[in-house]
Amino acid sequence: MTGETRELEYDYSRLVVPFGPVHPALKEPVHFKVFVKKEEVVDVGLRLGHVHRGIEALAETRNLVQAMYLVERVCGICSHSHTTCFVGALEEIGRIQPSERALYLRTLVFELERLHSHLLWLGIMAYEIGFDTLFMFAFNTREAVLDLFEEITGNRVHHSMNVIGGVRWDLDGRMVEKVGRSMSKVREAAQRIREIFQDKTVEERLSGVGLLDRGAAQELCTVGPTARGSGLKTDVRKEDPYAAYGALEGSFSIVTRTEGDAYARTEVRIFEIFETINMINEILARLPGGSIRPGETIIRSMNRVPQGEAVSRVEAPRGELLYYVRTDGKGGLRRLKVRTPTLANIVGLRQMLIGGEVADIPVVVASIDPCLSCTNRITVIDLDKGGAGEPLRRRRRKWPH
Amino acid sequence: MAALAALLASLPAAVFLSLLFEGIDRKLHARMQGRIGPPVTQPFYDFAKLLNKESVFPSSSSKAIFASAPVIAAASSILAGAIPLASLVAGTSVVGDLILILYLLTMSSIMVMIGGSSSGNPYGAIGFSRKMVMLIGYEVPLLASILPLSLKSQHSFSYHGIVQSQVGMGTCFAFAYPSSAFAAAAFLACIPAAAGVVPFDVPEAKTEIVHGYLVEYGGPHLALARLAKDAASFALSFLALTLFFYHPPLFEGHASLGGLASAILCVAFAPAMMFLTVTVPRTVFARLKVGQAFKFCWSLPLTLSALSVVLSAAGF
Amino acid sequence: MRQEGSAVRIGARSRIKSPWLFHLNTGSCNGCDIEIVASLAPRYDAERLGCVLVGSPRHADVILVTGPVTRQMLPRVIRVYEQLPEPKSLVAVGTCAASGAPFIGSGVIEGPLDGIIPVDAYVLGCPPRPEAIVRGIVTAVRRRFS
Repeated sequence: MTGETRELEYDYSRLVVPFGPVHPALKEPVHFKVFVKKEEVVDVGLRLGHVHRGIEALAETRNLVQAMYLVERVCGICSHSHTTCFVGALEEIGRIQPSERALYLRTLVFELERLHSHLLWLGIMAYEIGFDTLFMFAFNTREAVLDLFEEITGNRVHHSMNVIGGVRWDLDGRMVEKVGRSMSKVREAAQRIREIFQDKTVEERLSGVGLLDRGAAQELCTVGPTARGSGLKTDVRKEDPYAAYGALEGSFSIVTRTEGDAYARTEVRIFEIFETINMINEILARLPGGSIRPGETIIRSMNRVPQGEAVSRVEAPRGELLYYVRTDGKGGLRRLKVRTPTLANIVGLRQMLIGGEVADIPVVVASIDPCLSCTNRITVIDLDKGGAGEPLRRRRRKWPH
Repeated sequence: MAALAALLASLPAAVFLSLLFEGIDRKLHARMQGRIGPPVTQPFYDFAKLLNKESVFPSSSSKAIFASAPVIAAASSILAGAIPLASLVAGTSVVGDLILILYLLTMSSIMVMIGGSSSGNPYGAIGFSRKMVMLIGYEVPLLASILPLSLKSQHSFSYHGIVQSQVGMGTCFAFAYPSSAFAAAAFLACIPAAAGVVPFDVPEAKTEIVHGYLVEYGGPHLALARLAKDAASFALSFLALTLFFYHPPLFEGHASLGGLASAILCVAFAPAMMFLTVTVPRTVFARLKVGQAFKFCWSLPLTLSALSVVLSAAGF
Repeated sequence: MRQEGSAVRIGARSRIKSPWLFHLNTGSCNGCDIEIVASLAPRYDAERLGCVLVGSPRHADVILVTGPVTRQMLPRVIRVYEQLPEPKSLVAVGTCAASGAPFIGSGVIEGPLDGIIPVDAYVLGCPPRPEAIVRGIVTAVRRRFS
């Protein structure tokens, strides 16, 4: 009898729970190997790469305009951040200065995107803790922002707003009013979401979970709301202003929390929603006149970009996004390197997960707002191990420039 | 003989009502979230579809247990729902059938749990241990909340006897004595945990452990496992209504039809009970963790039921 | 004989009325994935047609595949498809899953999807609108299950 019990316990204590790559809590494939003792997490192994699509390599075979569409599809949630960062690098190489109005519109869509991303994240967080009603409410609020995207740019998710030297779509007076009206509605809804997140059951699920102290956050180079939730005052919009953020510096502040748990990261995002709404109202009030893009075709703008290299940084909804671009001077790319915010934040996950409970895994993973399609870098092809033994198919073909 | 016939007739009625109640629950849940929601008949479609699907056995499972567990679970849940229906209709009383009903409900949870853990999936194993904790959490206050009723109705553990003693008193137990009022509160507070809905659905949390013990089930077995859960929530809300809120002026006195009329009335009012104890909690709360759920069960419901037992022993 | 006919009819009708969805990301950019989630949110509410997003492939009837099928997800796509109990249906959501664009030419893309497993409905768009996704599910289910 006792022998049996011990054997059962022995088995149970080294239970390995695979978390992913296909898991309902994850909208994207990533594989965690979680070593569990009772309900406690003892160790975590992380494997990335399931959705690696080879975008960086692919971009080298495309011209700059085609590459713009490609980098937009690095991530469907922060697509405008990617093009803004990419186009910022190209404009630096080509010494192209977009008009004031173009920069303001770029910033407007950027902040709308932050708004929709944070609302989406709050919904996902509610879903992870089994709070379907809040999830539905957050998604319903988010639809208002998506409607604005659709009216401004013509698409709900991939906006294609940026072109080299400007933006594609303009806002008329009626739209300016409409955005303002929507913002007051979203502010009210966000207020309610904030109140619900202050509810005791929700707070109990989130506070004290996934701890990452200030020192560790700095050491592991976390960025964005994850870093700000651990007390690091870091924001590219203030440190290295791009687009119109230099002119708007006084209209927003950096939200930080010192607790470093999942609840702190939630609070940072909720308060950033209000900061963002304030900033959007400021942009609408100060929107300068003028043209929105150079009066030449995009092909001509593309060909004006000389050979050169540049690094560009933006503050995507998830944190600092970095692009290194090297152009070949013939309208193509020599090299593209993308460092996405999740790539910086995901390293902190192991530290956050160890010592926690199994029930907390989805919450902790979600709390850094992982965007794995941005993060996947490599496909390992092991020629010795059979199965994947066939050599990498050479299907890359040069697209005509 | 009449009682047996009533029981046999109640079995399909219990299946029908369980599915109907799930439909009502889902519709109300959706409306409270600002959605249109599925039609009330949706669970019937789901059930029929799952019955018509292929059943899959994972190679790591012990097939006999894996396949038979949902059948036993569904059978005992349905029986637990059918017995109160039948005894209301037939007006007969069997000694100790209330204990049997609660035992059948526990049996149903245990069978699903065993079936899930026999699948050989680690999520099933975690679901098993979580369900075990939950069982220990809610069984004690649930059983304790029945004791005052038995004390107040001449030490009877007969379901029909307890219901009829409310007729004798002229009022329902929830308002009759302080002890039985506390017992009613304890019973209601246990229902979300016993039915396994959202604040307490830790054993089958979708985002954490992929439906827990249901993870490997598919096709007819899944249909039966889900039916077991639906029948359990039907049985619990029906029990809550008839044991504690059987207000005689409302449910009795339709002499021409006898027991059938009061049974139909009870069925008509039971969705209100379910709305209160299943739909509202799962709409307004977030899922708790195992520890928190267990702590809840052993704080509020247990205190209430302990209080009610002490009060009823003291004669209040 | 007649009884069997009616049983088949009930089976077919209930399958059309209750498509349970399993979502599989094979390298999508999240665009299609959030639109699938949005189609379940209050404005589009796919649950009124009986659609429920389930977490285990064993429970599902329809797989929604997004993304151009990366090399590493290829065996998993096949495995998840095989894990679904019969009868099952598959919807390719988004242009990536349908044709591989704009990732065609990449060495690590194995798509498009219809070269790997049978597809019942294609929902085009980058990403498709939630209405289109719901329509795609209904089309696939009608085509496959009736």
